[in-house]
Amino acid sequence: MSAYLSKRLLYMVIILFAASLLIFCLYASTPGDFITGNIKLTAERKAELREIYGLNKPMLERYGIWMKNALHGDFGYSLAQQKPVLQLFNDYIWNSFLLAAVSTFLTWVIAVIIGVISAYKQYSWFDTLVMIAIFAAMSLPSFFIGLFLIKILAVDLKWLPPGGIITTGSNATGLAYFKEIVTHMTLPVVVMTLLGLGSLTRYFRSNMIDVLKQDYIRTARAKGLRERKVLFTHALRNALLPAITLVGFELPALFGGSLIIEKIFNWPGIGQLYMQSFGLRDYPLLMGFTMFIAILTVIGTLLSDVLYRIADPRVRL
Amino acid sequence: MRKNAIVITSLLLTGSLLLSACANNSNNESSSANNAAAGSNSTNVEATTTPETVPAGALSEPFTATDLSKLPAVAQKRTDTIIVGLTDPSGAFTPYFQQSGYDGNVSSLLYASLVTVDDKGVPTPELAESWDVSDDQLTYTFHLRKDLKFSDGSPLTADDVAFTWTIQYDKSYDGSSQLPSLNVKGGKAYKEGTSTAIEGIKVIDPQTISVTLEQPNATALVQLGSNVLSKAYYGKDYKFGDLEYIKKLHEKPLGDGPYKLEKFIPGQEVRFVANENYFKGKPKTEHFIYKTTEGDVWQFVETGEVDYASFSATDENIEKLKALGFVNIIPYTPSTYGYLQVNLKHEQLKDKLVRQAIVYGLDRQSIYVDAAQGAGSIANIPASPISWSYTEEGINPYKYDPEKAKQLLDEAGWTVGAGGIREKDGKPLTIHYLGSKSKNTDIFIAVAKENFEALGIDFQPEVFADFNSLVSKVEGGDYDLVSFSTSMLTDPADGFMQFFDGEITDYDNPKFLELYNKALATTDIEARKAVYKELYQLFNDELPIIFTSYKKTVYAYNGRIENLSVSPFIGLAGSLPTWSLK
Repeated sequence: MSAYLSKRLLYMVIILFAASLLIFCLYASTPGDFITGNIKLTAERKAELREIYGLNKPMLERYGIWMKNALHGDFGYSLAQQKPVLQLFNDYIWNSFLLAAVSTFLTWVIAVIIGVISAYKQYSWFDTLVMIAIFAAMSLPSFFIGLFLIKILAVDLKWLPPGGIITTGSNATGLAYFKEIVTHMTLPVVVMTLLGLGSLTRYFRSNMIDVLKQDYIRTARAKGLRERKVLFTHALRNALLPAITLVGFELPALFGGSLIIEKIFNWPGIGQLYMQSFGLRDYPLLMGFTMFIAILTVIGTLLSDVLYRIADPRVRL
Repeated sequence: MRKNAIVITSLLLTGSLLLSACANNSNNESSSANNAAAGSNSTNVEATTTPETVPAGALSEPFTATDLSKLPAVAQKRTDTIIVGLTDPSGAFTPYFQQSGYDGNVSSLLYASLVTVDDKGVPTPELAESWDVSDDQLTYTFHLRKDLKFSDGSPLTADDVAFTWTIQYDKSYDGSSQLPSLNVKGGKAYKEGTSTAIEGIKVIDPQTISVTLEQPNATALVQLGSNVLSKAYYGKDYKFGDLEYIKKLHEKPLGDGPYKLEKFIPGQEVRFVANENYFKGKPKTEHFIYKTTEGDVWQFVETGEVDYASFSATDENIEKLKALGFVNIIPYTPSTYGYLQVNLKHEQLKDKLVRQAIVYGLDRQSIYVDAAQGAGSIANIPASPISWSYTEEGINPYKYDPEKAKQLLDEAGWTVGAGGIREKDGKPLTIHYLGSKSKNTDIFIAVAKENFEALGIDFQPEVFADFNSLVSKVEGGDYDLVSFSTSMLTDPADGFMQFFDGEITDYDNPKFLELYNKALATTDIEARKAVYKELYQLFNDELPIIFTSYKKTVYAYNGRIENLSVSPFIGLAGSLPTWSLK
């Protein structure tokens, strides 16, 4: 196991290096740079600024400088926001994480429950209704459902706030602050959960259907075990196993922010910041964020493999 | 009159225009997209615009709230706080060092300027109670008011002004201030490090400072008369060639404007508190908040979460706002214009007749007025209708006239060839058009394609989702026409910016240069007006760029707010100190 881990870690480092070079070159070769967008500047001033920012150096040299600083833990200043990149992450990522963590948790719990019941009662009216509802939820565009809920619940009924994370100008602390955040989170979490629920429910349902057909389930029932025990101990555990691979993929998603949801609900997350910085060619921010997601992705896959090994002893690493 | 700040434009922003102030942002989005922060704000309540030349969609007069009882309880409860929506301030609140127009909106409340402009764009005293200009128009002397203080109570003197001008000539200065292009005497030597101070800047006494330029420039007064940075605070760690340290002060601004920064919550709010040391006295409303509204601002207006927002002046928006009942609405034309940049290097467009034919043959009324539901009007000169230099005298309105366009093309030697496309010397007449991805670009392409085909021009549109890619393509010269809109224009000279330092350096016309310099050589407004009239007539005939449209917006604000007016040049900052809640 430890030999396996050290080998994996070495691979990860190599992959990240290669990815960083590739990503840097991709960003650097998109047409235009941070200075281009400001068409009021004289050609002379543009050249001066490129000199100051080091944008006139050859691509590989720029990469070298960026890498050297990054290895020292310095990801530079965002060009557009004039702030250290890491500070910006700290300002925005936790807000995105909060939404993603809560909605992911809810999505998984609800998906398992519905999936299992649907599988157990395959072809019943309950199953049919659930499948219809799930397909409906999956096919709704997020901006539509988001704006629709804002219109009904926030603007017309005034039950929930229309967006943001706290009430404007509020100085609430402690419990009141917590309550404020929960009410502001409700709508975006509901929408994110609805949108994510579909695929996961179907996944659990089909896994469960497969497992229920296995011989050992028949054996368990033949032994006279209670149906509940058969279902939740024998079947569910095996049905959940393949989902471990999904856990790894969830990791980058937890921190990546969600552009559309954040925009609709005016949620101060990292998704919008990233999107914006792409349009502006804010290289330090783009690089920092993309690398951050890349690191989470490789860690996530490693995590999946290790967890799989723990859950299923037949798997050899 | 902030001089810096590139506006960050998310081209995804198709919804409402959001409020913005005087950030002189330098991002020209394609004329089509709704530039949220295209600096700008609306007419005074006692509207001084000329309604007959600028019909404001469905709203030509300010509209007063009809039923304040409909005001949501949240907004009803606020007694000493006013909340305004602002797309996305980033936290760089130091003037001259910010890259985003939204940050400019924030700093416009934190810092006062030496000289401001009235609703027509004419300079008026602010921190400087008066100024003198030497006879040769080269030396400006500013006389500061007595007892000026920064918000921490420290004195503001001529030294601070000198410091502010000086650091913009530092070689590491990376902001977008236009001050260095004024060529202050000795500025270059300072930048190159051959001198330790700028020769042209002289502190005469704590209340008096003079500055000498290399050549006259009528825009200098307003450029020089911008915000003042405290030398004691911002200059503490200053060493020539290194301005990096200022970044650490961006979120801890020390200003002299009507408000002080209370708290900045990234992505959410900028909270202000009234500045008791403001030279005009403490503002009437204790608290002011800019609320980040990345997405749609409607929901916040409807629920009373924001007191003020701006919208595109479409009939639909105006109807919706009127129906709310609790908002006052004011019509407003930003100080910008939209245009099509013409590639004057291309043989077919070098010919004035072809350029004129394009304007006659393009149904601008349908594209910019009708399709925009009245939220626009047609432009024919490089100035906004609200500018003191605006004129329609001797200006050809280029009413849509396809027959006239065909006639001009015939005259220019482009004759209809096989397949209905015009040819000259065996070359077909093609127009390769670039635009940013937006609803308005789609409208333009649909109408223009039909218009151009009718004239026998082969129209080839290309759409970019990304503004920087578009500009790169333009820089590469592979285009015939491209849609842009100017950023906020304060001085009429700004309307010609793109002929000097933007993209269009190919317009070589001695008469234009002569007039342009003549207009800048004097600070006398009446004299300048006459020169600009000539310039506008020249451009209107020559069409080195093709003028398209003016935007129209409306401001809607909580009916409880009194004394609100919005300047096209300095936004809210001018009237905010007097706003009060009834």
